[in-house]
Amino acid sequence: MIKLSGIRKKYGHHEVLQGIDATVQKGEVVAILGPSGSGKTTLLRCVNFLERPNEGELTIGDFTIQCKRARKQDIYTLRRKTAMVFQQYNLFRHKTALENVMEGLLVVQKMPRDQARERSAQLLDKVGLGKKLDAYPSALSGGQQQRVGIARALAGNPEVILFDEPTSALDPELVGEVLAVIRTIAREGITMMIVTHEMSFAQDVATQVLFMDEGVVVERGTPREMFSDPKEERTRRFLKRIAPEPIYHI
Amino acid sequence: MNLDPGFIWTALRSLLQAVPTTLAITAVSSLCGLLLGTVTALLRIYRVPLLGQASSAYVTFIRGTPMLTHLLLIYFGLPLLIDGPLAGAGLPVRSAMIPMIGFAYIAFSITAGAYLSEVVRAGIQAVDRGQMEAGLAVGMTTGQALRRIVLPQAMAASVPNLSNSVIGMLHASSLAFTVSVVDINAQAQIVASTNWRYFEAYLAAAILYWGMTLALERLAALVERRISLYNRGGVSS
Repeated sequence: MIKLSGIRKKYGHHEVLQGIDATVQKGEVVAILGPSGSGKTTLLRCVNFLERPNEGELTIGDFTIQCKRARKQDIYTLRRKTAMVFQQYNLFRHKTALENVMEGLLVVQKMPRDQARERSAQLLDKVGLGKKLDAYPSALSGGQQQRVGIARALAGNPEVILFDEPTSALDPELVGEVLAVIRTIAREGITMMIVTHEMSFAQDVATQVLFMDEGVVVERGTPREMFSDPKEERTRRFLKRIAPEPIYHI
Repeated sequence: MNLDPGFIWTALRSLLQAVPTTLAITAVSSLCGLLLGTVTALLRIYRVPLLGQASSAYVTFIRGTPMLTHLLLIYFGLPLLIDGPLAGAGLPVRSAMIPMIGFAYIAFSITAGAYLSEVVRAGIQAVDRGQMEAGLAVGMTTGQALRRIVLPQAMAASVPNLSNSVIGMLHASSLAFTVSVVDINAQAQIVASTNWRYFEAYLAAAILYWGMTLALERLAALVERRISLYNRGGVSS
């Protein structure tokens, strides 16, 4: 289980996150929606301390961290329990697809090389890249790079995978292959938090939807509640703008 | 007095015996300088208290003074600096035991360190921030991510500038003759004055330096091709 309570983040005088609470049960897929600048990416990056929250408490499994007093060692422990898939993929550019997935296993988990290689090759096969093991990121399409990114995230057996707009940098025709992979691993019961603009995907895959605006969670609920009957005016306005208008035939 | 083409060849053969000295000074100062430059670049980028400022001061001072001055400061200053403490500690070691070339190694390493600090800093800053973040996100410590992810890419990006600096050190190593180290240039002077053929001797030295520079350039191109394979859509073999 993942629990965020009272997460606050300030840049100077601007408070980007104004006390966020959220609970994610094991196996849940939480979609975080909201307009740009609402703080959703910052929230995600606070979960693995790429951004250090100013206040609040974070629990992942049996590990709890007080954000204010977090020491280096606490942060490393926390990061070993999470994984992240980035909007810009951020694959290690000087390493092949296989080495990208192996790197964390070798360096962080100290897994023997043969075992790491075998596991990484399996994961790449799973995301449909079994034939691209030795390709460098620069030789892969955006969609392929992002699938390597997902395999890399899966490698360390994290308790939660954080997806930061995983398809926003992709050409439209490549979005599908990445969403398909995420959908597959979601069905396997891996806990996920996803910041996304893909509404139909969120509706389809998520078990819980958070709608954020101006640093607060405006509304939360099941996808059914959120998409068909949002309570808050702000949510309604946002979904209306994003969701395509129905096509009328006259 | 006429040009004696035959003597160029004679001088060239005599200069060959000084090539190891020149290469040693270049290699030692470049390697130690790279180490020093990397450390000071990191101290500055991460704004480490005190050490970061000290590194900045080191870089501006060294880059703001001539290399010959560094050599002379070390040559005359090092004995003052270390002989007292060494005697105080009762150690039987004195600066007089340092061979002449040792002063060149120390001084030129310090010089190269400052220039390479800038080269490495630019290289590190050319690496996308996301690379460090991805390393941290898989659970690496900052040190691990630096060593395994950021620095290899920074070095690859720095190869052209690094090779420039190494070539600079190769040429500047000729200053070592001022502390009576017999490098290529000093050897040329010796050959020249014993035979009264100055132009031919220095021309031979020039040809030798040029040849070594061309070799270094080829080497750098080879290294660059090898280690930046990943940038060109390559597949590892």
